[in-house]
Order: sequence, then structure tokens, then C-alpha cells
Amino acid sequence: MKILTTLKKVVDVELNINVENGAIIEDGLQYVMNAWDENAVETAVQLKEKNKAETTLVNIGGGDDNTKIIRKGFAMGIDNAIQIDDPALENSDPSIYAGIIQKVYEQGEYDLIITGKQAQDTDSGQTGIILAEFLELPCVSNVIDIEAIDDQHIKVSRLGDAGTEILEIELPAVVTVSDGINEPRLPAMRGIMMAKKKKISVMDLAGLGISWDELGGGSPKSEITEFMKSETRQAGQKFEGDAAEITAKVVDLLANEAKVL
Amino acid sequence: MTKILVVADIKEGVLKGSTKELLSKARAIGAKTAVVAVGSDIESLSADLADAGSDTQYIADDKSLDLFSAAPFTSCVVDAAKQFEAGLIWFGFSETGKAVAPRVAAQLDAACASDITDAQIDGDQITITRPAIANKVMQKIKVNTEQLVAVVRAGAFEADESISGTQNVVKLSAPEPDLKAVIKEVLSDASGEIDLGDADIVISVGRGVKDQAGIDLVKGLADDLTAGFGSSRAMVDAGLMAQNKQVGQTGKIVAPNLYMALGISGAIQHLAGMTGSKTILAVNKDPEAPIFNVADYGIVGDLFEVVPILREEIKKIKG
Ligand SMILES: Cc1cc2nc3c(=O)[nH]c(=O)nc-3n(C[C@H](O)[C@H](O)[C@H](O)COP(=O)(O)OP(=O)(O)OC[C@H]3O[C@@H](n4cnc5c(N)ncnc54)[C@H](O)[C@@H]3O)c2cc1C
Repeated sequence: MKILTTLKKVVDVELNINVENGAIIEDGLQYVMNAWDENAVETAVQLKEKNKAETTLVNIGGGDDNTKIIRKGFAMGIDNAIQIDDPALENSDPSIYAGIIQKVYEQGEYDLIITGKQAQDTDSGQTGIILAEFLELPCVSNVIDIEAIDDQHIKVSRLGDAGTEILEIELPAVVTVSDGINEPRLPAMRGIMMAKKKKISVMDLAGLGISWDELGGGSPKSEITEFMKSETRQAGQKFEGDAAEITAKVVDLLANEAKVL
Repeated sequence: MTKILVVADIKEGVLKGSTKELLSKARAIGAKTAVVAVGSDIESLSADLADAGSDTQYIADDKSLDLFSAAPFTSCVVDAAKQFEAGLIWFGFSETGKAVAPRVAAQLDAACASDITDAQIDGDQITITRPAIANKVMQKIKVNTEQLVAVVRAGAFEADESISGTQNVVKLSAPEPDLKAVIKEVLSDASGEIDLGDADIVISVGRGVKDQAGIDLVKGLADDLTAGFGSSRAMVDAGLMAQNKQVGQTGKIVAPNLYMALGISGAIQHLAGMTGSKTILAVNKDPEAPIFNVADYGIVGDLFEVVPILREEIKKIKG
């Protein structure tokens, strides 16, 4: 089985994010591997450990932060890495990413594409699903369990509105995974050392054989025009002291001030 | 004139409140409205769908649509969108919406947006607002296509109880089943329980409740108030609460009148799912817990002590 996973760098959501004049202030931001992509990598590596599989990751973007997360992917057990680095990709949207991954897929004859269910920076959750539409492949999103049935079939569980849905999928296929699927491993020292020596196959759009215009880059379907601060809630009244007294007080406020009881 | 197609949110044969919320917003914008309903044995819902504020009801009712499958669901929505010539196609916040919206957008070559909190239409120009980065920022997005497919964030639009539409049913033909991703069964662990998305009050437990006994204690309070019963991820990871109870960035986004966070620290991923609530009550023994930064009312204390008193006091006022 040949597995392709996607890897995106995202801003570290645990740090403060400040907005000024409609833009995010880059100063002081740090970048990490998208948490759901970590789950995707872990899923691929576990499938490889249980079955015979070759795992490849694709990363879009350049710079040290992307190299760092690719090395982490290697250290977790990924075999190969492809990086698409092109200055044109500065302002990409899900369908542009999907178009690029489509091209990578078509050149590699993969059986299974695993993406995180969304990225922590945009929280959009579209790329994997749109990719499957472009490729006309079966797709299951929000997957919380996966197992190979044979070379051509996998069984997955997804969390849906009616409960846990169990599906059988014919390969090739795309799945997007939720964080409930596994606990991503912390790379061991040996893996980290080996990861440093592995080669990353870097190419630009021309090298991949696609142009910015073919990707629809010149005419994006939508554009972010402004970032704004979220309206943060104000801290309200906090009570400390005798439990019976303060709890009775709060119940009174819930009933008579907030009027929600 | 703008035409807005709302995808009906139906669970266990019942139309969910989000459908009316979306249609209320659509009518407030001044748009022509239609709804598309997909499922099995749902034809009887056409009156409810009109009452919710739609003037045309596209209904795909077929045995094969009993269990959710994304590809045929998509076909039905695309079919309705084409027939209605919809400019905007709105899903309520649900796993179905998150799975289907990008597919519909790809098939219509339309823009797609998840989790929108507002939509403005100025002539042909659609502009939307949505949170990003775990709610830390808001984005304003200009849509360059004529069509937009969007999932609306839970609680973003308010239902206007005074509206209603007219009944005008258009039957859709049954779509092809997906032979490559076959739905085998659905393990439902929620039937008969109060839906988190619909509940007026949601009470969630975090690691602070420790174990099953702690859960049972809080569940008693939830039952008293017929409240939805949710969870932080820590409790799901511990195997103590079901995954579909998780509130937060990865789980449900809820916006009830009252949200109670019991023994929850208030990690941003949890906050991303509940700060749209009207009123928040937090109980935590750590006075510095970040949950207090978003709570309207905070009780610093041991929940094992506080919850029984809460139950008593609430019983007193509710009689
Ligand atoms: C990609 C990603 C997605 C995530 N998505 C979600 C999500 O959707 N939802 C979610 O909830 N989390 C999510 N998380 C996890 C999140 O970061 C936190 O780890 C989680 O919310 C912590 O849960 P908790 O508050 O129950 O536990 P803790 O952080 O351990 O907090 C327990 C709290 O209980 C208090 N406490 C302990 N004992 C008592 C007592 N006797 N009485 C009163 N208070 C007590 C403590 O003071 C503490 O504040 C996600 C994380 C990642 C990386």
C-alpha cells in the first residue's frame, strides 16, 4: 500500500495572536505542525507498522519551519517527503492546495491519502474533501478509526451526526482524520537522528508540472480582506469563600440577573 | 434577487432549530428562500419545513438515504441548488454540513466557507465573516464567485419565531448510492438523549470530575434541568465520555442560554466551542483557571461540594 499524507505548518495557537490594521502581527509568532496532520502522520505510520506500506508526506511551502515539521514527520516514521515550494503560493486557498496535492497524487500512484480533518490556522476543513472531488475518489471525513481489510479495501469509523458511522471503502481513497483517532507519538532519539539524513524532494510548481494559473491562482474564489480581533468575553463575577453561601448567591444571579434558570 | 437554499438539519426524523435560524437570516436579508431535505420517511416534514420559513421545499425521500452517506447527500443538494438557481447554499453547523459543503462547492465550482458568523450581500457582492485560529481572530472574506456554499456557526443567526413560508414541494429523484464508500452501520450512543445543539442549557464535565462517580453526580444536575450533557476532550480521551459529547474546536460548537463548565480548565480548544453561549457558569477549584476569563459567573470551589448545593438551590427556586 502506498500512503500519502499532507503536512501543513500552522501558527502555534497557544501563543497570543495580535491583530493590527486588519492584519495579523507576524512578530513573535511561532509555527508548528498542524495538530490534525500529526494524527494523519501517526495514522499512516501505524498502518505501515501493521501492514506493508510505503509512506510519503507532501508539504506545501518553504522555509525553516516547514523543513522542521517535515523532519518531525520523518522522525515519526514517514519514509519519503515531497515539498512544493514556490513564491506564488503565498496566498493559497483550499482549492489551490487540493490542486497541488492532486498533481502529486497523480505522479505517485498512491492507494490512500490521509489528511488532517482541518488546519489549526484556518479551521476550514476543506482541502482533503475538495481534493477527493477533484480526483473523483471516495472520501470519508472526520475519521476516528481505520483498519486495512485487504490491499484494496479499508474499514473506517467516522463521527457523524447520528453516531459512529462504520464504512467500507474501496481504494484508492481519501480520508480526513480527527484527533480522536490516535495519540501521535513523540519521536524517539534514533528517529530524530535518522530524520536529519533523509532527503526531501523539493520542487516548484514548474517542477511539478503545473502553473499558478492552472491552479486557479489568478482568480481565487474568495479572498481574506481583513483580520479582526475576536470579541472576547469579559470575565464576570467570581466568588470565593463558603461553598453554600456563594453557590446560593450564584443560583440567585442565574435566576434573577441572567434569567437563564 | 438573492436566492438562499438552506439544507435542512434533520435528526431522528425531527427538524432541528438551526434550519429556522438560517431561514430567518435569509428572510431578513430579503432573499428568496428554499430548503432541501434529504432522508428517508421525511415527506411528512414538508409543513414543518414551510413553517421554518421556506417558500420551496426540495425533498429527497428514499429508503437508500436512511443512513448518512456524503456522496448521495451531495447529489441531492447540488440538484436542488441547480433547480432553484441558488446564490447561497447554507448548512447548519453539523458533521453533515462539514462533510457535504466542500463537495457541493467543488461540484458547483463555487466558493466555500466553514463556520461563518455573518453574511452581507450588497448587490452581487457577498462578504462573510468567520472566526479562525481557534476563535482567536475573525476573518472578513470577499467572495469572488456568484455562488457561495457555507456552513453557519452554531448560534450565529437567531430564529425569528414570527416568520413562516409557504408549502411548495418539489420532489427530487433518488441519487445513486456511493458504491465505493459504503455505509455499513451506525452505532448510536445518543438516541433518546438531549441534543447538545438544541439544548437551552448545556452542562459539561472536565477532568476535575475525575471518574464515573463524578460524572454521575453532575449528570443528576443535568437531568434536573433537562440539560444537554457535554464534555471536555480530557474526559473523552480518558474513555469516560463518548466522543460525540465533546465540546470544542474538534467537537460540538454550542451556544445555549446557559453553559456550565464543571472541572474544566478552559483550554482555547474548549473555549472555541462554547464562548458563543449567552451565559457561562464555571466551577473550578483553581482561581486562576482560564475558564474564569470567559465566565459570567464563577464559583471557586470543589465541585464535589458545590454540585450538590447547586442542585438543592436550583430545586428551591424551580419548586
Ligand atoms: C488539535 C486539538 C484539538 C482539541 N480539541 C478540543 C476540543 O474540541 N474540546 C476540548 O475540550 N479540548 C480539546 N483539546 C484539548 C485541550 O487542549 C485540553 O487539553 C482539554 O480541553 C482539557 O480538558 P479539561 O479542562 O477537562 O482538563 P484539564 O485541563 O486537566 O482541567 C481540569 C480542571 O479541573 C479543575 N479541577 C480539578 N479537580 C477539581 C475539583 N474537585 N473541583 C473543581 N475543579 C477541579 C482543575 O483546576 C482544572 O482546571 C484539543 C487539543 C488539541 C491539540
